[in-house]
Order: sequence, then structure tokens, then C-alpha cells
Amino acid sequence: MNGTEVMIGNQAIALGLVQAGLEVAAAYPGTPSSEILPAVIDFKRRLGKDIHIEWSVNERVAMEVAFGAAMAGKKAACMMKQVGLNVAFVPFIKGREVPIEGALVVISCDDPGPQSSQTEQDSRLIAALFSFPVFDVSSPEDARLLAAHALSYSSRIKRPVLLRSTHRVSHAREAVSLETPGQGGAIDEGLKLSNGRRLGIVSSGMGFNVVTDVLGELGLENAVSLYKAAQIFPCPPELLRFAGSMENLLVLEETDEVLEALVSGATRVFGRSTGHVPRQGELTYNVVRGIVQALAEATGLATRPFSPDAAIEEAVSSISFPPRPPKLCAGCPHRASFYAMKQAFPKAVFPGDIGCYTLGTSQGAVDTCVDMGGSIGLASGFFETFRQDGGPDVPILASIGDSTFFHAALPLLYDAAAKGKRYVAVIVDNGTTAMTGMQPTPQSGMRAEGASDYAIPIEEVVKGLGVEFVKTIDPYEIPVMIKALKEAKAHLTKEGKGPAVIVARHPCLLFAKAGKKMYSDDLDLAAGCNGCKHCVKLFDCPGLIFDEELGKVKRDEGICVNCGVCLFVCPQKKKRAHRPRGKAQPAPA
Amino acid sequence: MKWEIVCTGIGGRGVLLASAVLIETATSAGYHAMASDELGMSQRGGSVVSMVKVGSFRSPFVGRENADVILSFEESEFYRNLTFLKAGGLAIVNSAGKEVPGPVRGLLADRRIACHLFDADAIANRNGSVQASNMAMLGFFSHFAVGPYTFGNILSAIGRKVAPKFFEMNRAVCEAGRIEAGGRLASEVRP
Repeated sequence: MNGTEVMIGNQAIALGLVQAGLEVAAAYPGTPSSEILPAVIDFKRRLGKDIHIEWSVNERVAMEVAFGAAMAGKKAACMMKQVGLNVAFVPFIKGREVPIEGALVVISCDDPGPQSSQTEQDSRLIAALFSFPVFDVSSPEDARLLAAHALSYSSRIKRPVLLRSTHRVSHAREAVSLETPGQGGAIDEGLKLSNGRRLGIVSSGMGFNVVTDVLGELGLENAVSLYKAAQIFPCPPELLRFAGSMENLLVLEETDEVLEALVSGATRVFGRSTGHVPRQGELTYNVVRGIVQALAEATGLATRPFSPDAAIEEAVSSISFPPRPPKLCAGCPHRASFYAMKQAFPKAVFPGDIGCYTLGTSQGAVDTCVDMGGSIGLASGFFETFRQDGGPDVPILASIGDSTFFHAALPLLYDAAAKGKRYVAVIVDNGTTAMTGMQPTPQSGMRAEGASDYAIPIEEVVKGLGVEFVKTIDPYEIPVMIKALKEAKAHLTKEGKGPAVIVARHPCLLFAKAGKKMYSDDLDLAAGCNGCKHCVKLFDCPGLIFDEELGKVKRDEGICVNCGVCLFVCPQKKKRAHRPRGKAQPAPA
Repeated sequence: MKWEIVCTGIGGRGVLLASAVLIETATSAGYHAMASDELGMSQRGGSVVSMVKVGSFRSPFVGRENADVILSFEESEFYRNLTFLKAGGLAIVNSAGKEVPGPVRGLLADRRIACHLFDADAIANRNGSVQASNMAMLGFFSHFAVGPYTFGNILSAIGRKVAPKFFEMNRAVCEAGRIEAGGRLASEVRP
């Protein structure tokens, strides 16, 4: 291939790996890393390569598949988000001392902010702490070159290496070269601006690109010296020499102190340890502009300073517009599940999990969000606590998605069943890994590249783990789900074996119909509405609008999918008579 | 020359396709261009911001009061993201309303911002589908011929970005947006 193509950073990482001779790729999806593996599939086809590609059931499996292949001589890579690196930590850490015949690049995409993770972590820190070579990518084109470089570097040193991206690079779009990079070519790092010793800046990742733009705006491109770091560990001697030669040195990196720790002691360093860079959060343009402007002024450099116009906030604060917190989609089956759970047991404890359904917090049916599978583990801890204290019989209703169940919950559920812990676990099964872009689960019977696979139904797994009470229902039928939840609780109250599992199965609407309207007849929500707002408050669907003038609820025509589940929620008997339009989902054969 | 453009709106309404057309247009015209998207957690109905920088920039981040243009595909998202727009900038807002509320009108005048409210949804609806309102927005924007963003350049980028069977409808909506801007602005004094 030649020329250029506009693509996101994750596609560019895939292109670099495929161009450098990748043979085995395994991943578990997680924002912001999810687009890398599908792009490996795309470039494999376009470049006519032979690559084994799989969605693994979790990051540890992905790493071990890639690690095994690398030990046996293949050029391999595994991809995950930063929290996934924790899941894969056991084989990862052993990678320090196990020689490989081929190559292994571990790609970990960090989430500064965090924007869609439970924790903000710096994968570079973990790598540097344990002496793993690590590279930090700064743009899509840079990511392509570094991914190719990392694979040949690992092949050369016969050890695994880590390639770190962040969501801002993984999801940035630019024109990327399609030419195959030269073998073992130089990487883009080193001195970028040389303007004396007064103020030097060391930066890596997207922070480098942001600070370059900021220096232009503030008129400092001829006043400060700037060094771009790409290989973070082992730290190149040129970087240490640059750092040591500056009177004042600012370190801009996401999200922990890695370069800052490596250069400390060399010179007067400004960064997180000195309070000049915020401890948490993304290095956005505004944040970097503020840091650089303050430091330039403190070190006596003339700038074209930026001062915000407070009149904007003043004017905007005088008008009201709707807040837009993240919500489950209109027609999402999880909303029905959470409504049923809250209605069945309003005073229950609700351990939650990681996925779209973490958003059940807004319906009061998700109390915790710790880690993948954590709902089941925490439920066990809550159960033992109530039992030990001999407190009231508080129902415990855990919720977990289908992909998350396969990813992390099997040992937790087996352990709970072995010990007979009495709580209800609801597996909200929408048939796909919805939040990260509809990747298959072990129940889908489909491989990464579309070939068919053995489908493993959740119910059989649950029974095999020793669970006695298993019932599958369609959450669109809210009264049926409420009844099933009460049966499950009754089973536990009558000293039946715990935990009890409800499989709430209805396909993700985006997955089933790619976002198209599923149900044709428009509902008339205003008919019979007395304006009580029960549905608006407790069902929290973005498709519902309350018309203050009419004093009635109505559909948002651009968003509502006419699923009709909200009719179950309405306390007015007249409207309850309607049936929802969704068909009940049978258990898989 | 360089330009910073912010596209704002809500999920599922074509903000990201419009942004993809903007970067494609610039790249085809020989400019370096980068884009960065912020989606929040929701796939449909949540706030979406896409930043596009064209010319000699290194990052796709737009700083406060740095955007030359804001294309707002939904009115409230315009107010939410107004801090992006520089003094003297251009705003195009999809709205059925006639004018922005008083306090904001004063602010826009003080900051010499040319703000155009127009009903892209209605124009898209009349020419095929309300889902194509993003194309009406791009057509309206092409009237100003900012940098590489002439009607012809935008239209060829749309041709490369949408499926052939939808091209004619998208072209018609885009053109209707351009005609709306032309007809309206011929008789209007720019602030």
C-alpha cells in the first residue's frame, strides 16, 4: 500500500504491527483500546497476511495466548485498557525473566481523566517500576511507527515490551502513511526546540503535541527548549543530559510521575511533585496553557498571555439548558431490569459491575462499581457481614453483564455456590459486549473474524458452577421479572441453596438493529397521562420528555424507539393494559 | 493558514460524520488536519464534542476561546460549549428558534461573533431525512468558504464518506443548506 489514509490512533497501531510482521494478536475489549483488534483484522485482509486473531475472554487470557506464541517463536501482541493490564499482571510480571523466541508487544491504552474507567492509571509507571521497556505514543502517525518499532525491538532483545497509548491518541484522527516503515528505523524523539537553558520542557505522549501548540500560541517557541520522549524506559542518556543542562525543567506527562522521577535530582524540576502540574486528570490544552504560562512568568520569560473572558460564563449562566448525564439508550433492556429490581426490593443492597449497566446508579439499583466481576465478590462479603452481625434480612441483588460474567465472575460464583451464600445475582444478558462496540462473548458462537464457534449458554455455565436456582426471563416483561426476583428471594429465605441466579435476557437494541427503530407504531404517551412524573423520575429514559405546558409526558421523537416498556412503569391502570412491543427472548438452544 | 473548528451536538445525530467530512476535506486539499472526539459514556443522546484543527498544529485539542468556528448541531450544546469560540468567531447553530436569548445576544455582539441560527432539521426533513441535518449544517458552513471548506470540496469529501446509495439525498440536503445561507445572508448585514 502507499499514500495516506485518515484513521484513528488505534487503527494506526494495528497498521504498524501488521506492517512489522505480526503473527498472533489477542485482546479483550476496553475503552480506549477496543478498535485495535478489528483494525488488525482489516489490515490483515488488505495486506494479505497470515495472522491468528482472537477476542480472548479476558486480558490475562489474551496476554497468555500472545506470551505462549512469543515463547514458541511468533511475533505476537496483546491489547487491553489500562485496568486490563491489572488483570494480566501475573503473566506480565513474569515476562521480565522468561526469554521469548519471537516478539511480544503488550499494548495498554490509558484513560487520563478518567473518562470511561473506574481508575486513572499510568501503564508506563508499572512498566518502568519493573524494568520493562516502554514506549509512549503521541499521535496516530507516531503510534504506527512506534508500534512497528516496538515489535522489532522486542524481537531483537527477546523480551516483552509495553506500548502505551492514551484515549486522546487512540481516538485522534489524522492522515497516516500507508508505506511500510524501514526496518529498525529511528523513532521520533529528542530535542525539538533549542532555546537556551532558562526553561526546558520534557514531554511525552499527547502532552508533547499539546505543549508544542501552546508554546506557539503564547509566543514562546523561541524562548524555551523542548525535548520529546518516546522511549520512556530504559531512559535514553540524551534525555538525562538535556534535563541536567537546564536551569529550570518542566515535565509534562500523563498521568503519573515517571519521567519526572527519572530526571529528578538532575536539576530544578517542576511537575506533579512540586504542585505545578495537577495530580489527577487529563493534560488538556487549557491545563497545559495555564501551567506553561505561569511557569514562563515565574522564570521571567515574556509571553503573549491568555486571559479568559469571564463574561461568557456570566451570560451562559443566565439561561437554562438541560444537563446531559450519561444514560442508558432509549429501549435499553437494562433499564427495565433495574426498574424491576428496584420495584421488587426497594431496600436491597445492589452490588453493581463494569459495563453499560453501571449507569443503573441513576435508577438506584447500582450501589457499587469496583472492578470486573466485583458485584459477585462484594455480594459475598455483604452477605457474610449481615450474617455475622445477625442484622435484618436485607436482600442483596447483584447485577452483572454477560461479557463481564464470562470475563471475571466464574470463580467468584463457584466459590459463592460452594459456600451457599444467599443472595440474588442478576445476569443482564444483552448478547454482546455492548459498551465497547459489540464484540462477541463466549455465548455468541462467533469468532473475532466472523467464523462460527461453540456457543456456551450462560445457564449451563451457572448450573455447572453449582447454582441450584437459575431462571431466565425477558426484562421487557417487567411484571414477569419482578415475579422471578421474588421467587429467587423466596428460595433463599426457605433455606434453599444460594446464590440464586436470574438471567435477564433481551438483546442490546444497537446490536440487534444497528440503532434503527425496532418497533413501528408510535406510542401515544400523553393519552391517559395525569402528569405524575413517576416514569420520568424512576425510569430515567432519554426518550421521555415532560411537557410542562401540557402537564403530560411525551416521546422525544428523535430518540424513542417505541419499545413500550415505560407503559409497564405507569401507575395509571389504563396505560398498563398496553403490551410492550418487544418479543420475549427464548433461552438459547 | 490554520483553523480550529469545534462540532458540538448530541449522540446519534451525525456530529462525528460531519467532523469526519471536515478532516477529509482538509486532508484532500493538502492540509495537515487532526480531529479528536469526546463522546461521554452514552452511545445515543449524550453530549458529543469533536474538535478539528487544520494547518500547522500538532495536537487536535482546541483551547478555550481559540475556535474560529463552532458548528452546533443542537442549540443547548452551543451554549454549553461557547467558551471554545474566540472573539470574532463564526457560529452556526441548528435551531428552530429565531434568535438566541438576550444575555447571550449581548455577549455575542460584544465578542463580535457572527451567530447564525437556522433550522437544519427542517431543511433536512424537506429534502429527504431529518437524520441528514448534519449535511444541511455543512452546506450552510460552505457558504463562508473558510479555508479549504468550499461547497465543492465539502461535497467531494461527503462523496467519499457516505454510501453511494445515500449520496444523492445527502447532496440535496447539503445544497439546500448552502442555498439557505446564500439567500438569507445576501440581505443581511454581517455583524
